[in-house]
Amino acid sequence: MMILNKIISFYYREYKLNLSGFQDILTNIIFFFVSIFIFIFSIGPDKETISSIGIGIVWTLLLLSSTLSLRKFYQDDFENGNLLIMHLNGLSFGFIAILKTFSHFIFVQIPFLLSIPIACILLNIANDELIYLFSSFAIGSFILSCLGSISSSMNLMNQRNFLLGSVIVMIFSVPIIIFSVGIVSLEENFNSLISILFGILLIVFAINPWASGLCLKLSLENN
Amino acid sequence: MKFLVNPSKFNKVADYIFLPVLISSIILFSIGLMFAFYLSPDDYQQGSTVRIMYVHVPSAWLALLTYAIMTLYSIAGLAFKIPFGFIINTAVAPIGAVFTLMCIISGSLWGKPMWGTWWVWDARLTSVAILFIIYLIIIFMNLSFENRIVREKVVAIFVLVGSINLPIVKFSVDWWNTLHQPATISKLSKPSIDPSMMIPLIVMTFAFIMVGLAIAILRIKTEIISRKSNLS
Repeated sequence: MMILNKIISFYYREYKLNLSGFQDILTNIIFFFVSIFIFIFSIGPDKETISSIGIGIVWTLLLLSSTLSLRKFYQDDFENGNLLIMHLNGLSFGFIAILKTFSHFIFVQIPFLLSIPIACILLNIANDELIYLFSSFAIGSFILSCLGSISSSMNLMNQRNFLLGSVIVMIFSVPIIIFSVGIVSLEENFNSLISILFGILLIVFAINPWASGLCLKLSLENN
Repeated sequence: MKFLVNPSKFNKVADYIFLPVLISSIILFSIGLMFAFYLSPDDYQQGSTVRIMYVHVPSAWLALLTYAIMTLYSIAGLAFKIPFGFIINTAVAPIGAVFTLMCIISGSLWGKPMWGTWWVWDARLTSVAILFIIYLIIIFMNLSFENRIVREKVVAIFVLVGSINLPIVKFSVDWWNTLHQPATISKLSKPSIDPSMMIPLIVMTFAFIMVGLAIAILRIKTEIISRKSNLS
């Protein structure tokens, strides 16, 4: 029961932190919508064109705007010493990474998930395609959280090149984009493509605690 | 075989083999280029552009081989705590990046007359481009960390995570229906290439290996010296 108490208090703290910094999450969402506007202004408001490339636009911008907040993934806890305190309280680094990944999924990706329908109205995407987009992003966003955990823990001690973390996430998210956008265009292959996405999710979820935990440990040892 | 994991033993062996490697690379390159330009026949469909293959294929093989070596040494460095693995990682990454870039450039030079375009979004081409970007990220990571211990281990972890891309590059022509042709030379079956084209290809491959080895020896020795004097 001790470990359950720790997990509950961890999420209570994350909830408090995210509630007090709610404008950050809102800024992410606003970035997403403003970039949709920019996209539409740049390609012209033709309905046919927009609805044919709409899914790709939504996925690209979701990826870009969810990598924006990666700097805050571990950096604050690392700098004010909370990571060390969590570890001293009996949570291993890998377990901290898993908890943080779920927290990132809940507090950063779920708002994006909820804003997808509005984006679909703006981009003139049909309702039956919306279901495919929604289900692929529900899986894909968790993969993005895992990748974000890996890359941001790698770049904790990186003082010069902050953009490298986003580039790492984007280069590994290429297969996710391919299969997620493929779901919408190849509707008869829905089950097989969603299984491939789920397989990628399991691989990344297995790598995540190992890689992030090791990087967190290294950074804390050599800080 | 201790020179593969021990810096001082490596220095001794490298002093012995550096000059032979350099000389043999020059000889092999002159023989290989002579074969590639004059002594090998034109292809009956591709004409003279088939000669680009003698640069394209060896550089592609060596780009993959370099990454595989880096993966092995990352495992050695992280799991068995052999610091020589991190030295290899730092030293060899730019060589692999150059080989990948050569592969991409020669491939697109071939693609313009043959496919009619410099670049297509084909599985093999895309995965090689991703390999190139992964090499670039490794180089930038090596440049941007200030703490050496964190840097080398983080780079090793990144190399291991990025090695997912290797089988994708290798098998992309078999898994997907691509414009890039599948492997002509494989271990399991008789190669479907004529000996008159096979010989220059093999000579050029060995020449590329020797050149890569010579540069790698120089870079590894500099890296060892700079670590001894705590420059980085």
